[in-house]
Amino acid sequence: MSLCRFLPNPSDRMAIVWSLLSIKDSLILEYGPAGTTHFSMGLYGSLGVDWKQVLFTTHMDEDDVVMGDVSRLEKAIVELDTNYHPKVIFVLASSISSVIGTDIKGVCNYMQKEVNARLIAFEQGGFRGDYSVGLTEVYKLLVNNLVEANSEKKEGTYNIIGASMGNYRMASDIWEIKNLMKEGFSYTLNTCLCSQTSVDQIKQMAAAELNIVLSFEGLEAAELLLERYNIPYVYMAPYGYRQTLEFLQKVSEIVKKPIHKSLQMRIKGKLNNLAMYKMAGMMGRKPRFNYKAIVKGNYDLVKNMSSYLEEVGITVSDKICSHSTKNIKNISDDIKFYTDERDYLQIVRAARKCLVMGDDVFLEQADNTNIKVRTGFPFIKGSQIATHMPLMGEKGADYILEWIDMYYQM
Amino acid sequence: MTLQGKDIIAKMEKLSNVKTVKDIPQLTNAMFPGTHCPLMGAAMAVGGIENSMIVVIGTDECTYYAKNMTIGSEKFGGINGRCVSVVLDDHDVTFGSTKTMHSAFAQIMEEYSPECVFLVTTCIIEIIGDDYDAIAEELSEQYNIPVMAVHTEHFKCEDHFPGLERTITACAAMMKKCPCDNSVNILGQRLGNFAATELYKVLKDAGVKIGMQLPSGCTVEEIKKAAGAKVNIVVHDIALPLAKKMKSKFGIPYIYFNRFCEPEKIYENYQNLFSYLQLEMPKEIYVKFEAVKKAVEDSKEVLKGITYIYGNTPYYCFEINSFLCSLGMIPQVIQSNKFDSNDQVYVAKILQNIDPYICKSANIAPLQYVYDELKPYLYMGHEFAARLRAKGIAIVHSDAASNMLGFEATLFLLMQLEKSVNEAKTYRKELLI
Repeated sequence: MSLCRFLPNPSDRMAIVWSLLSIKDSLILEYGPAGTTHFSMGLYGSLGVDWKQVLFTTHMDEDDVVMGDVSRLEKAIVELDTNYHPKVIFVLASSISSVIGTDIKGVCNYMQKEVNARLIAFEQGGFRGDYSVGLTEVYKLLVNNLVEANSEKKEGTYNIIGASMGNYRMASDIWEIKNLMKEGFSYTLNTCLCSQTSVDQIKQMAAAELNIVLSFEGLEAAELLLERYNIPYVYMAPYGYRQTLEFLQKVSEIVKKPIHKSLQMRIKGKLNNLAMYKMAGMMGRKPRFNYKAIVKGNYDLVKNMSSYLEEVGITVSDKICSHSTKNIKNISDDIKFYTDERDYLQIVRAARKCLVMGDDVFLEQADNTNIKVRTGFPFIKGSQIATHMPLMGEKGADYILEWIDMYYQM
Repeated sequence: MTLQGKDIIAKMEKLSNVKTVKDIPQLTNAMFPGTHCPLMGAAMAVGGIENSMIVVIGTDECTYYAKNMTIGSEKFGGINGRCVSVVLDDHDVTFGSTKTMHSAFAQIMEEYSPECVFLVTTCIIEIIGDDYDAIAEELSEQYNIPVMAVHTEHFKCEDHFPGLERTITACAAMMKKCPCDNSVNILGQRLGNFAATELYKVLKDAGVKIGMQLPSGCTVEEIKKAAGAKVNIVVHDIALPLAKKMKSKFGIPYIYFNRFCEPEKIYENYQNLFSYLQLEMPKEIYVKFEAVKKAVEDSKEVLKGITYIYGNTPYYCFEINSFLCSLGMIPQVIQSNKFDSNDQVYVAKILQNIDPYICKSANIAPLQYVYDELKPYLYMGHEFAARLRAKGIAIVHSDAASNMLGFEATLFLLMQLEKSVNEAKTYRKELLI
């Protein structure tokens, strides 16, 4: 890899940890140096996930590394099981244990008979790809290992898959999806992978009528649930009014229920206003320059947010994906992932009078002739407290529209 | 949960049985939160050296956390600042990172023009065995600036202090022999502001020039000229290897002026310091000495018999505990990741009064059950205040002592202790203990 001036992309392992931290009644045990675990707490805290006495480390010393001694790991597993009685212990490899070839899965297999907790091994040590790879893996592994077949069907419920706490405003986006599903169909959330969930909730995922997949990383898990338990899914991260209506329409087709009229009328009204707004924007205020945007973020955000912006007459000149795109099927050609920072730096540093959307690091590189909107992680200024300020759905569309309006007025 | 305080205590060792750090037990194999990493220590040290750069070589994870730590720091220059990294992928792990490093370094020189660079290697580099000492030497010759390798693999050490120690010790390579300018260097202040300390004021009032302050704040140029000092003042153990190196290389003597609590020890340090400086010791030192001795005597009435658990403070672990014992306080558990021959003198003093339990630090999860068993009044160090209060225990906050050296550190400690004892008594009344 080349020089990294800012924050590198979080690894697969980091995404696995921040996802697992959202699962109540489970503990995470990292088999690696304690410093990595301690150092990581600042990041996880900023994502809004609680790590206190959930995330443990064995530490590793030279003997463990040189001799491949895993007794420390074995003892730690027994200790956590005896002392905390978790339903599941997720045993995670580290970069060191991966490189020296520790058989974490093997240890979990033979230790399983010694403990009551279910042991689930994650062997990703941070070398299999970036956080996007980790998210795909964690959703899939959770579905494979925990979901039970004999769950009684719960009518009027759905699961969310692909809600990564590593996404900016994810808690708010979940809140918005819940509101839309409640108001549109009187449906309630069964399980969310992975935010504020529990081992039991994941076990009962098969009870839901429908899966809502908010990111492509959740697709493989959704396919597994379709194949095994015949649960259909809707894959869409809805940004803007049109997409929100489309999303509701897709759900409606699957659950075979009409969208509640008042919700439908309200969003349609806003969509109509958007068209008028766009005309007013163009006619009332003569364009003084080419309205242009640059969007950087997760694949689904980049793709769908760009569509929203294009609906209101803003050309998205650069669509920059913040993670590797090699696992995305049918990816649009205009969405790029740059492995060398210099490539995207060149783009953002050259931007003038643009609407720039992205994370704080990216926004910092754009000069002040631009309108900058934080839509991604990492954020380095301030904090993320509200859980009712989404980027997705109707409320998210309102919020983004305010920025668009500001941009038109600049 | 079924952790039992008695079981946890049974895993502890008595201080009298400890001969080396290996005798200090880790309470559990699964730790929370665990110790800090030497990489963090290295980043802290480089933060204090203006115009230098830190290049972290490691996994996405190590490099992410190191950069994340520096983003909010003005010293580092925020997001665009002087902490960068070379992130290793599986190709680098298999075939080595030398080529990648050379290419990244060329970009660093072009974009940042640093005056010196610290190549900080992490666990993975030490496992794959890339020779960063040689790489640093090559780069140093190629670009004609000091480039130093600092090794921070955590599996070979206990906590973050080796990272600080190795970074500042590496600076010796930049120093050149130069004429004595009668200054003093301040070595090893890792936190706080030396200019806010009593020692600084004493030196300033005596007209002593302050030279390099490493790692609390200096420039590369000051490091290069540091050998012009008359005396090195070592304010923390992390600087002892550097001080010894400077003594053997340049003949500069050093005073070990840690953040001591015992007034006699502090007074003796002042005497030695002014003797090395060949200056008369200011009279105010004696006045302060007498005042602090009186404060110590006065505090005994409040502090005698007060039990506590020692976690982590800016003070010197065994010296502060020995001092607290001399006040009549009772250490029930001492947590420490360090134990060497220098500690023996203080350990002997502690053992004259009591034989406390000892265990490794940075593992507060199992301690929750120990509190119920031992019921201490005070916890000295970092813990969650609300949950301690629910058990009738008050925290002694002492982080502010990072800005103190000299008698002021003792006075501040006494003040905090008395305050916390009063709090603990109130909590215990609330809980009807």
